[in-house]
Amino acid sequence: MINSLIQGILLGGYYALIASGLSFMFSVMRIINLAHGSLAVLAGYLLFVLAQRFGISPFYGLLIVLPVMAAIGFLLQRFVLDRSLRAGPLVPILATFGLAIVVDNLLFQQFGADTRSLAPYIGTLSYDSFELPGGIYVGALAVYIFVTAVVVLGGLQLLLSFTAIGRAIRATAEDPETAGLVGIDSRLVNAVAAAIALVTVGLAGAALGMRATFDAYAGGTQLLFAFEAAVIGGAGSVWGTLIGGIVLALAQSFGAQISPLGFLIAGHAVFLIVLFARIFLPRLILMRRRA
Amino acid sequence: MTVSNDKSRSGLTRRDFIAATAAAGAIAVAGRAGFALGQDAALKVGFISPRTGPLGGFGQTDGYVLDLARKALAGGFQAGGKTYSVEIIDQDTQSDPSRAGQLAKDLINNQGIDLMLAVSTPETINPVADACEAAGVPCLSTVMPWEAWYFGRGAKPGEPSPFKWTYHFGFGVETFHQTYISQWSKIETNKKVGVMYPNDADGNAIRANLAPLLAKDGYTIVDPGAYETGTTDFSSQIALFKAEGVEIFNSFPIPPDFAAFWRQAAQQGLTKQIKIAQVAKTGLFPSDIEALGDLGKNIASAAYWHKAFPYKSTLTGVGGQDLADGYEAAEGKQWTQQLGASLSLLDAGFEALKAASDAKDKAAVAKAISTLNVTTVAGKVDFTSGPVPNVANGPIIGTQWVPSKGGKWKFDYVVTENVTDPNVQPEATLVPYNS
Repeated sequence: MINSLIQGILLGGYYALIASGLSFMFSVMRIINLAHGSLAVLAGYLLFVLAQRFGISPFYGLLIVLPVMAAIGFLLQRFVLDRSLRAGPLVPILATFGLAIVVDNLLFQQFGADTRSLAPYIGTLSYDSFELPGGIYVGALAVYIFVTAVVVLGGLQLLLSFTAIGRAIRATAEDPETAGLVGIDSRLVNAVAAAIALVTVGLAGAALGMRATFDAYAGGTQLLFAFEAAVIGGAGSVWGTLIGGIVLALAQSFGAQISPLGFLIAGHAVFLIVLFARIFLPRLILMRRRA
Repeated sequence: MTVSNDKSRSGLTRRDFIAATAAAGAIAVAGRAGFALGQDAALKVGFISPRTGPLGGFGQTDGYVLDLARKALAGGFQAGGKTYSVEIIDQDTQSDPSRAGQLAKDLINNQGIDLMLAVSTPETINPVADACEAAGVPCLSTVMPWEAWYFGRGAKPGEPSPFKWTYHFGFGVETFHQTYISQWSKIETNKKVGVMYPNDADGNAIRANLAPLLAKDGYTIVDPGAYETGTTDFSSQIALFKAEGVEIFNSFPIPPDFAAFWRQAAQQGLTKQIKIAQVAKTGLFPSDIEALGDLGKNIASAAYWHKAFPYKSTLTGVGGQDLADGYEAAEGKQWTQQLGASLSLLDAGFEALKAASDAKDKAAVAKAISTLNVTTVAGKVDFTSGPVPNVANGPIIGTQWVPSKGGKWKFDYVVTENVTDPNVQPEATLVPYNS
């Protein structure tokens, strides 16, 4: 029981990390980025290439890959999302959906069907563990990923609260036109926000590659977990995302305790319950007040 | 064409156009006549496999194998005293069963194929076989447990076969059983087997059919129950295996699930007690094992083809070692067991066309398959003594991934037992996983 509680919380850190970019982009630009998972897999492949061809450890590889991801985010916002947003709020969803398909198939074209992982390049870290009292083992990597998630989410919170760009991002999110009146270039701000979001996607890709395996079509599953964690946590809230990830992972762990088949179902069930509660509870409350 | 340049500037007149068309028609007729003089007719063979998508690992080597086959067939194909020109039309299911069915229908209705070949996984083969059975086109397939092909498509045990046009060869659950018993007897264990069978077609078939056979042979099966593909945390199963003290581990997972499970098992100290890690489905191809890093060392596997098979391809004349070496030289990638499996399907298919009284007659081809008894690059394909009608049993050979000794690749894939095909020589003795 305590074992699955601890494992669940740590797994939640991973979900929160992959969800952070998704929920950040949604809160700032009102864009649901369906290419989120595929872009994380892209980052995984970039790290893999650096490690395999040039012998660069994935940790140093991040120094190269994260700026690349930021540049991709900036250009993506400038040339795809910004333009499609002008055509209506649904068009960016379609655009990112198309982008996901393009990215998946380009990756397949380039790397083929082989299953890849960053684990061979990080020594024994992928299966090192700490022993806790009571014979409970926690994976070292899972702990590091959890810490990374907390740092990333905390960093985003600090950035939004205390920096000039953070204030500009919040102002643009509230009302781009009014923000423009006080001299904020909303296009630039959104592009910077997309760059920041894609940096977190790069970290998520590294976490995915180290803790598990990926192939060209692995993005879909990652998107699903990220989306569920973001929605459970109340899309757009920074710390909510961490809670959302943990709730999702705990639901899965306890689902698996009841039956091994329950792992994914319990996660989906919690997601749906939260979703319906979000939709119907406010209405119920409103109706009661009127009555 | 004979239209002169000066006229084309002023535009074609009607007379010119008619003259040109007639000339072109005459050339086409003459061309066909000339063609027919050298060769009696053309044969069309459909080849359906998953080349892209999640099952793309199976189709990865098909391009190379098809090239070999086309080269061998370039000078025409002799059957029944006639020489045919052969066109192999290969199609990619993109790992999608419904697309597999559509492709099969397209090949049957629009391309008019004479024989269908389908390879790898129930998701590819079953929809193709169903389309062929419905349309009355002979279909031959390999690489999936035959039980899922035969019973999974509506045949009943003890009743006559409902299939007239479709045939399958290759391993089944009983083959796995023999191989596992033989493989596991190589190392002293407490005979406690921890199993992780997923909730999918293969997993459920294995749980229902293989696990009872293993139990009958004195193995204690510790089964925590089916898990859903895509599960990312396996703490409860690992805890159970540790508490039960299992020394053998057996699973039929997809690669991402196995990597997640096995790393967690290592974190929580389970892998230290495992003497034999016998994995199927994952570990067929080198990249699955390389992705595990050090944890991939000494994983035991089973192969439906290996380059140590001592047979030659009837179609191309290529032997096992040459096939593997040729692929490595041409593609710069490590050989996989799929090379021989796909080639054996082409071998068997063309042997059937050869044996048919008339290769253009679909009923004659189907009849030829039903009595086929040949040795392909992957061993014997014998439909005369099959476990059930329409099925020929094939071998599955016990193997192990061991660190490569000075080779080009990270791991070598070595044969460790040969109970289902004694012609294949074991190359190494099974090494305990935790050694």
